[in-house]
Amino acid sequence: MTNERREFFMSTTWLPCGTYHQNYVQDHAWWQTKFIKAKMILLLIILFVIIPLVADPYALSILNLVGYTILGAIGVQLLIGFCGQVTLGHAAFIAVGAYTSTLLILEFPWPKILMDWGLAYPISILIAAIVSGAWSVLFGLPCARVKGFYLILTTMAAQFITVDFIITGYVSQIGGRGQAFSLPPGTIKVGPWVIDSDLKVYFMMLVLVIVCVIGVLNLIRSRVGRAWIAIRDNDISAEVMGINVIKYKLLAFYVAGFIGGVAGAFWISNLAAISPEHFPWFWSLWLVGVILIGGVGSIHGTIFGAVFMVVVMEMLQLAVMPLADIYPKLLVDFLFIKEAVFGLAICVFMIFEPNGLAYRWWQMKNYFNLWPFSY
Amino acid sequence: MELFLMTVTTGIMVGGIYALVALGWVLIYKCSGVLNLAMGELTLIGAYVSLSFYSMGMPFLLALLCSLIIGLVLGILTERIFLDKLIGEPVLTVIMVTVGLSFFFKGTVEFIWGTDTRVFTPPVFSMEPIHIGKIIIGQVYLWSFVAAIILLIIFVCFFKYTRWGLAMQATADDEMAALSLGVSARFVYAAAWAIAFMAAGVGGTLLGNINGLNISVGYLGLLVLPAVVLGGLNSVPGAIVGGITIGVLQNLCGAYLDRYFPGGVKEVAPFAFMAIFLLFKPHGLWGWERIERV
Repeated sequence: MTNERREFFMSTTWLPCGTYHQNYVQDHAWWQTKFIKAKMILLLIILFVIIPLVADPYALSILNLVGYTILGAIGVQLLIGFCGQVTLGHAAFIAVGAYTSTLLILEFPWPKILMDWGLAYPISILIAAIVSGAWSVLFGLPCARVKGFYLILTTMAAQFITVDFIITGYVSQIGGRGQAFSLPPGTIKVGPWVIDSDLKVYFMMLVLVIVCVIGVLNLIRSRVGRAWIAIRDNDISAEVMGINVIKYKLLAFYVAGFIGGVAGAFWISNLAAISPEHFPWFWSLWLVGVILIGGVGSIHGTIFGAVFMVVVMEMLQLAVMPLADIYPKLLVDFLFIKEAVFGLAICVFMIFEPNGLAYRWWQMKNYFNLWPFSY
Repeated sequence: MELFLMTVTTGIMVGGIYALVALGWVLIYKCSGVLNLAMGELTLIGAYVSLSFYSMGMPFLLALLCSLIIGLVLGILTERIFLDKLIGEPVLTVIMVTVGLSFFFKGTVEFIWGTDTRVFTPPVFSMEPIHIGKIIIGQVYLWSFVAAIILLIIFVCFFKYTRWGLAMQATADDEMAALSLGVSARFVYAAAWAIAFMAAGVGGTLLGNINGLNISVGYLGLLVLPAVVLGGLNSVPGAIVGGITIGVLQNLCGAYLDRYFPGGVKEVAPFAFMAIFLLFKPHGLWGWERIERV
């Protein structure tokens, strides 16, 4: 993707005929026309009311997976798409979040009043996010000295050091539980609700995703976001312009790790037990693949990518399952097929649609905004 | 002291194999600027192909030759189908295509050959260890090292003295000048991938002989990355030195640090070492330091 093309599709949406902006506030407004506002409210109603009413637990569990992927991928998107720091070790920070939250819930002597009010889990999410942000900054430190491929390798080192060494070897031994931490039902409680069904996880996921997406979008249209974009486009000219490059790069690592921590701490509500196998290197690369397929440098690209990848993989599973009666080996080998298809999908997208799904979406929107006179 | 000497010797011998694979990596980077993350899977493919031929009853050298030929074909195909269309695209796009390729290859290998550990039966090298003074070395290590060194010498001679090798060197040095002198860049790219596939295949076969062959051999192929970073991304001698250093480092950590930090210090040490090393020498030992201007 060339830079001009990306910036163009990032920043411009052609407004409907007769709508003009007269000041910068309007230019940066969330909802630029009444129609867009109505569309967004409709989307919220669908998400909060209609989907919980009609969806069965299977669909909800897939949606939860989509939400988890979105939460994880936003941080990657921030680093790669907005700050230009390629990371291939994000699963490490998600793992740090998940383990911090689990350990806090299981081992920390919570005061009774916090337990009664159901605040233990929300507080642990916050602490997990902060810890994982700090951990991410630690591994982002080399970005002060190195960039490009060398930085990619240090983030890979983060993955292997954190998950394969520290968590597997040491953190998992805390409390003598062996490899996996099991979370007894009823331990995860938000306010008066015990998170024990897909529906409740779904609502929690929605709230977290919306908060994170809005937070990141707001960051991006502020001074911080503009500094990140300047660093992405050319870090030397950014420095010349007076941006403290190292500070903003580390800030990007911090925010990315923070959201990764939220993702990890959220995901434990959906798992009966967590073990290092939940956060393999594959998952780091999967997240990067998600944002590449969705579109680099666009937050809704992240969402499209997450939906696309999860749904395609589920469809693949549904398509393969009937064949399993004939070839029972397929059931075992499905994981490998999934891997191969994922790899091929990335290659095909990179070669034929390097701008991702978000670019198509932008083109469609503009087509309808200007319809029927596209000139 | 004996333990130290033995660890270092074993490290150098395993490092020779890493050096061979690292050479293939550096070659791709130098000639076409592609940062290849699929190296581990290239070793896997080569190793499994030669294992399959060997299990069919072929002599080992013939099986190795067959896997070299298949590596050549696969390398050219990969370059033509995937990488050829990406010339001039940004770095991240190209890296992610190689990541995609690595998943594709890995999934395919697992689908075809399964995930169980396989060994070369009957063993290619005799199990009898060799005594050199007080040092005891497995024959596998020694012969693997010899094979890796012979191949390294062949490759280096290829670059120095043959017409094709010189063309590749010219492209690596200055693509525009090479093009204007009539070197076909597309041929050079394809040749680089083919050689990388072949080198990785031999490396994988040798590694598979040491510990048996399963998916984790692909992880050993990943160790090539610290090796090339250590030597500098675009330096062939750097790749060889880096490969041997990583081999020695890994064995030393396994021998001495494992007591204090149980749980796979051997696998993580190269990466941790690399991350710290980069803080002090961001361009490796002999990598080019590019001067950047606005």
